[in-house]
Amino acid sequence: MSSIRAIGTYLPTWEASGRRVHGADEDALTMAVAAGRALLEGLSADPGAGTGPDGEPVINVVLVTRDLPLLEGGNAAALLAGLGLPDTIPVVEQVGGAPAVLDAIASAVPATLVLAADLEPAGAGAVLVVSDDDATTSRISLLARTTRSLPVNSRGRDGVRWDYDDPRLLLERGAKSALAALELDGPPSVIAGLPAKQATQLSDGQAPTLPTTGASSAIFALAACDGDQVVVAVEQATAAAAAVTGQPVVHRDEGATKPVARSRTTPGPDIGISLPAYDRAFDAKVRWEAGSCDACGNLAMPPRRRCTACGSEDGWSLTPLPRTGEVYSKVDIHVPVPGRATPYSLAIVHLDGTDIRTLVTVTGAPAGTVEIGDRGRLVLRLVDTRAGVPDYGHALLPHLPTESEEVNS
Amino acid sequence: MRRVAIVGAGMTAFKEHFDLGIKDLIPMAVSEMAASVDKGLDRSDIQAAWFGELTTTDGFPSGILADSCDLLDIPVTRVENACATGNDAVRNATYAVASGAFDVALVVGADKVRESSSRSTFWEWAKLTRDVAWDYPVGLVAPANFALHAARYLHESPATREHLAMVAVKNHKHAVPNPKAQLRYEITIEQVLNAPMVVAPFGLLDCTPQSDGAAALLLVAEDVVDKYTDHPVWVRGVGLGLDRVMHQHKTDLTTFPATVKAAKAAYAMAGIGPEDIDLAEVHDCFSAVELISYEDLGFTERFGAAAYVASGATTVGGARPVNASGGLKAKGHPPGATGVAQCVELFEQLRGEAPNQVERARTALAHNIGGPTAVSAVTVLSNQKG
Repeated sequence: MSSIRAIGTYLPTWEASGRRVHGADEDALTMAVAAGRALLEGLSADPGAGTGPDGEPVINVVLVTRDLPLLEGGNAAALLAGLGLPDTIPVVEQVGGAPAVLDAIASAVPATLVLAADLEPAGAGAVLVVSDDDATTSRISLLARTTRSLPVNSRGRDGVRWDYDDPRLLLERGAKSALAALELDGPPSVIAGLPAKQATQLSDGQAPTLPTTGASSAIFALAACDGDQVVVAVEQATAAAAAVTGQPVVHRDEGATKPVARSRTTPGPDIGISLPAYDRAFDAKVRWEAGSCDACGNLAMPPRRRCTACGSEDGWSLTPLPRTGEVYSKVDIHVPVPGRATPYSLAIVHLDGTDIRTLVTVTGAPAGTVEIGDRGRLVLRLVDTRAGVPDYGHALLPHLPTESEEVNS
Repeated sequence: MRRVAIVGAGMTAFKEHFDLGIKDLIPMAVSEMAASVDKGLDRSDIQAAWFGELTTTDGFPSGILADSCDLLDIPVTRVENACATGNDAVRNATYAVASGAFDVALVVGADKVRESSSRSTFWEWAKLTRDVAWDYPVGLVAPANFALHAARYLHESPATREHLAMVAVKNHKHAVPNPKAQLRYEITIEQVLNAPMVVAPFGLLDCTPQSDGAAALLLVAEDVVDKYTDHPVWVRGVGLGLDRVMHQHKTDLTTFPATVKAAKAAYAMAGIGPEDIDLAEVHDCFSAVELISYEDLGFTERFGAAAYVASGATTVGGARPVNASGGLKAKGHPPGATGVAQCVELFEQLRGEAPNQVERARTALAHNIGGPTAVSAVTVLSNQKG
């Protein structure tokens, strides 16, 4: 049995044919970070929670997805940096779907952050497993598991996706057979890993509609629990069932949907990468931290040897930057740019409470819609992929103030 | 320091010279320069050369100048200072002659932009002026450098996109009589406003074309000027200014501090002020850059550029014509050649020989900015020795 402190979820803002789709600057890692940050920031914003980045430490991180950005080269460092966690924490990069996520959560040792992310439909979830105490909001224990092979959809090391294209076979010999093999007392109330219609059909009839069907759907299923329920996670012919008690606290980063922005990609030469420069910039870019002068505390972004305020060259230390700010200037690039999807927008953002301005891409909004004076938050995104290397950095997610905020400002 | 004069000036046409390499363009410009020297030039008089080239297409720049022009017995120094390269080459040669080290110096500027595919050019040139970890990957392409300034300038000042368009329309009009110009046709405000968007707020017609070309000047000391001409153009002032390189570190994007510093230095050396400038060649790689530069060069007050261009003051026939040659916008912009070619234009203007002649031209100013917007070079020329 595992105790759940809270759940975080993330859904990208883009939508096509009724499904969430990830932006060109998002991958499983950035979405997992978004869900993880929703969870950790939600906890730290909760008075007296005593958990989060500055509270109860996370000592293990598990990322479950079938869309790992890199098979070689590693995703763990960017994951930890994006989450603001120390680089001393062990990370499991696990290839798996919804049943694997239920397993990972139910078998996790306390202080484990379990993350799951999917590209199609796009979304991510995060669960913080803790020691059983007053802060626990729900508990999960595994009831049954069945692991069977019916690879109607398959993808090998070459990344090529194969589809046997027989939905009835997948339903009858996949989900239905797996569910039967679990030998539950009755139909489950929540089913992850299936399209909404099938989930309703195979459940007690009340199964909530979940936004994803891959690994993260198991976490969206837990987030949908309200009381004592049985949750089943299915992936083709494999399934796991868990009993959930209590109602977990859920911190959601799920913006309103927008039709996916139209763009075109122009073929062109790879823009290349300097790995020493990537290495030097990594922590500041991915952790979103400035160089603070050891002599006077003045901030520099990117960090620099010589302090612009006092001239000290004696050293600097990374210090977290605010993640909100206001657009000072912006441009919209319409001209075809080889190797990139256009149009896109860039903004110079003045970070709240600092003298720091930063030049960033704009994410989660159609190109040309952000204006000078707009506000937003800085989020981890895939800035570009250069010479096979995902180049992560922070981007501006514009935030249109609600009416009440406008009244207050 | 000795006074320094320009006694010869020449340039190739600016265009897409697919049929000519950098080793053709350089000697062409130098020969046209030599032919312009009133009393003739014995090439063995040339004691040193400064070569402004931003990038290189056929290898080692100084060697290419020396080799292609058979100037193998003099020192040649390559100058690279982003888009301020041309006027900075002039500045360096001016100091060398003024100091007494040399009496006769050659200045050449050249670049061959259209030597690689337009797709490759994009990133090759972008990489020259971007931080490889912080700016390059976000897609800060060249027009975006200047558009970041323009967007803020349009936000704070009374200027609108129509005022930007006025710059493009004026400079296209100016280029029509110039046989060296790349875009010799007139355009309208409506065409500029309706052109395909490149990087907002710049449409296609707000932008300079991609150009190849070379330009050359002969600088001599006042001690020997009479040997070459009775109508010298004096280099009265030179200046170079710098600024923070990354846009996020520039405190005010509505001005180019590099230009303010370069102009201050050049005016101080010349002992004059902006009110003494009769005409100017101003860096107009993008329409808004010319507007902002009016203010930084002291031609008009802060945020007065929109009214200033609308008044016609900077059109030929107005009080202070700017870019009578067509400017970068319509004459063309091979970066290393651009500043040198501005001085070629002003040499002709100040001697009354320009195709688009400005009346009563006595003192003129040439201006470059680049790097991106982190370096500016200003040269003040006059037919008055001062």
